Amino acid sequence: MGRLFALGILGTIACAALASAAFAQAGSVTGTITTTAKSLAPVRVTIDQKVCGAELADQAVVVDAQGRLANAVVVLTGVKPFDSLTLAQGKRAAAAEPTITNDKCAFAPRVQIARPNANVKTTSKDPILHTTNAQLENGRTLFNVALPIAGLTITKPIGNAGNVRLSCNTHPWMRGWLVVTADAAVVTGADGRFSIDNVPPGTYELRFWHEALKSAPQRITVAAGKPTDLTVQMK
Amino acid sequence: MLVLGQTVNQSASAAESRYGATAPKLAEQQSSVGGPTPTTVAEMWSAWCARCHADDGSGKVKEPTITVEPMDFTECKVTTPEPDADWARAIAKGGPGVGLSPEMPGFEDSLTREQISGFVKHMRGFCKEARWPSGNANFPRPIITEKAFPENEFLLLPVVSHATEPSSASATDVGLVAVYERRIGRRAMYEVGIPFYNWDFQTSRASAIGDLAVAIKYAAYASTTTPRIVSFGLEATLPTGELYKGFGKGTVVFEPFIAAGTMVGDWYVQAHGKVELPVDTLVDRAYLYNVYVGRDTSAAPNTWTLGVELNGENRELWVTPQIRKGLTGTGALAASLGASIPVKYRGERVVSWVGYLLWEFLEPLRARR
Ligand code: HEC
Repeated sequence: MGRLFALGILGTIACAALASAAFAQAGSVTGTITTTAKSLAPVRVTIDQKVCGAELADQAVVVDAQGRLANAVVVLTGVKPFDSLTLAQGKRAAAAEPTITNDKCAFAPRVQIARPNANVKTTSKDPILHTTNAQLENGRTLFNVALPIAGLTITKPIGNAGNVRLSCNTHPWMRGWLVVTADAAVVTGADGRFSIDNVPPGTYELRFWHEALKSAPQRITVAAGKPTDLTVQMK
Repeated sequence: MLVLGQTVNQSASAAESRYGATAPKLAEQQSSVGGPTPTTVAEMWSAWCARCHADDGSGKVKEPTITVEPMDFTECKVTTPEPDADWARAIAKGGPGVGLSPEMPGFEDSLTREQISGFVKHMRGFCKEARWPSGNANFPRPIITEKAFPENEFLLLPVVSHATEPSSASATDVGLVAVYERRIGRRAMYEVGIPFYNWDFQTSRASAIGDLAVAIKYAAYASTTTPRIVSFGLEATLPTGELYKGFGKGTVVFEPFIAAGTMVGDWYVQAHGKVELPVDTLVDRAYLYNVYVGRDTSAAPNTWTLGVELNGENRELWVTPQIRKGLTGTGALAASLGASIPVKYRGERVVSWVGYLLWEFLEPLRARR
């Protein structure tokens, strides 16, 4: 018993050492996503105005004055985001258990990354009935849970659902997305920036997803110790 | 336990009760953002259900936020045949739990069991007419025992038996009864059935139609809430059968009957007795009785149901174990299969395969989009 325990400790130390060795040689991928697409006109609200307001921003395309696109997903295929591999400093990374919050009649965040088989939480800050309806790309509903009161959190397994579309059956304008992937993936922030850190040197495919815009995948080479920076336009 | 702001663990809540969170009443909690959360069922209906189902339950709302219009809960004809359990399941699991549209969200993580049954009770109030028999007595149909609950159904009932007679080669007899059942008003139903036969006749196969049967049935005692029902009926078979081929009784036969059903725990118990009174006194009278006991293996409308019947006719007795399955999510299409095994006179009687294919033609077959 004692001997096995000691071995366990040794093993842990060895692993940690290996992992930090890998970090030292890792590179990173950073960049900016831009678009020529314009922000959309706000949505006129006719239901539950007391809570939702009279008008809401249409977040299907969130772009700043310099044409930098938020809520785009960048996926680096081939790099599995092990726990030891810290991803995306400063930007929204994939949470182990993403939380979908119904806040002032919008899903916050609009776009999130989830790991396959993650437990997804959904909650509401609004004192009115929302439903979090998660649909697969083929239109099949994965779950549709009612959130009648503020503050309640419900957990649902996401499986390996691919791109999941979120909608609310009491507020039809509400839209959100979960991109379920085992690959390293990040969502661009309001400045259109993304960064994927601690990427072992090598050649990868970088893919881009946005709910309304497209861009072809790119092949990139990551070198040790220096960032690979790129600008990608989505149409 | 479920408290505001805490996480509901799915498996834990499922294990604790059949549907719904076991929780201090959510309705008693005060919301931090808006005004007080609704407390009575009527208030909760207005706040949480009326957006899609309308305050009056009609499903007609000014500004629908969904693509499927829910059924009109004020229409007694449509709502009363639904058992409470199916409604509770729809509220808890959402539409897909009962084969309906996923636009109906699931409330099992946000409402308590008591709140869900409170909604079901509230919804029963949308039907303003008295005396509609409760769908809680709308049990799965046995293969031979007549069901007491009046139905809108189309049925095909095959019977296949295989006899090996010592003198001749083996013979397979096939029968098929087509039945149409239609409700009249709140409690009555009429029924028309026609049997077809196909059997080994000397060296070839022969076919014939049998005696046309017409029947009326009336639910004389039917609770509007509990799963108890007793119906009386009168069936008449007309001598349309091809007598020269050996089918039909050759006379009009009047068949008064009684059918009853109840639940004992989770078990369905259904019984049926009838007397066959031929107009032609040379034809023998017959006394028939059937008793069915069965239960569902799950709460879904398309569940497997296991059952067994005892079927007596005069001195003869059969036992008919059977299995039934809803073929669509709503259970509007269902099939049953059983074997009628002779208990008495086993040397002369053979096993028959029996079953049915059933279509409740007023029920949606599947979820609309
Ligand atoms: C977002 C819209 C929506 C909300 C909110 C909603 N429902 Fe429904 N409900 C539906 C739809 C749509 C159907 C019918 C689905 C179909 O026909 O396929 C339905 C079906 C049902 C059924 C099944 C009826 C049957 O015949 O089996 C019940 C019971 C029900 N709802 C109760 C409720 C209750 C109680 C609430 C509130 C706690 C509620 N619903 C809230 C949309 C909604």
